[in-house]
Amino acid sequence: MTHDRILVIKVRDVLMVTMPADPDDATVGELQEQVLGALDHHRANGLVLDISAVDTLDSFFARMVAETSEMVALMGSQTVVAGMRPSVAITATQLGLDLGNAKTALDVDCALDLLNAMPGGGSK
Amino acid sequence: MSAERQGEMRILTEGDIVVARKVVRGVANDAGFGLTDVTRIVTAASELTRNVFRYAGAGVLRWRNIDTNSSVGVEFVFEDYGPGIADIPQAMQEGFTTSGGLGLGLPGAKRLMDEFDICSEPGKGTTIKITKWKNK
Repeated sequence: MTHDRILVIKVRDVLMVTMPADPDDATVGELQEQVLGALDHHRANGLVLDISAVDTLDSFFARMVAETSEMVALMGSQTVVAGMRPSVAITATQLGLDLGNAKTALDVDCALDLLNAMPGGGSK
Repeated sequence: MSAERQGEMRILTEGDIVVARKVVRGVANDAGFGLTDVTRIVTAASELTRNVFRYAGAGVLRWRNIDTNSSVGVEFVFEDYGPGIADIPQAMQEGFTTSGGLGLGLPGAKRLMDEFDICSEPGKGTTIKITKWKNK
């Protein structure tokens, strides 16, 4: 069975991490190592986690995002989760999910603006 | 008027959580639910399928469309022959977990659905039935 992968690219000083629409648990579980490895390798100042393609955010997925964000913070960087769909936001709230210390933004553009406004973060 | 439809799949591997989400999404879409309700239903099913896989190792997911005079519904039953749940009220409490998770699976799935029934016997297994209704 083929499954979509997490895409990690560096744009200027920011890591852009794009989640596939319906990742399996193993793929979601790889998020932490993939992101932290890329953060270390590229010396990025911030991380945008694009979940605009994601149509199901369950408690396992949310826990992985929250933990990744905490680990990124321990490494001195910051995470902005971008592009949560309205249906996903409604469901996540009813389910009782939160994303820990991760900031959120309407889309990737807003996420980059938010990182730029943070001390030490951004794509300059 | 659509005929009553039903089906089932086995939950045997972690990859089956993705398969279950796709199956449940198809059933909910076909029943005519809107995007937000489809997302609620799929998310609840994702939590319960993962529970079956994590706690029992294997199980079955059954579904059926319900058609009454005034409303249509979709029903999903998650059945396993795993260790069972000794204290159901405790398991339904927000934040209670034995797996290191968030403890949101059962109470969260209940909030996302219209009906939630749980039957469990330690050593025998667990059956959870969830239903979502839509006015015609």
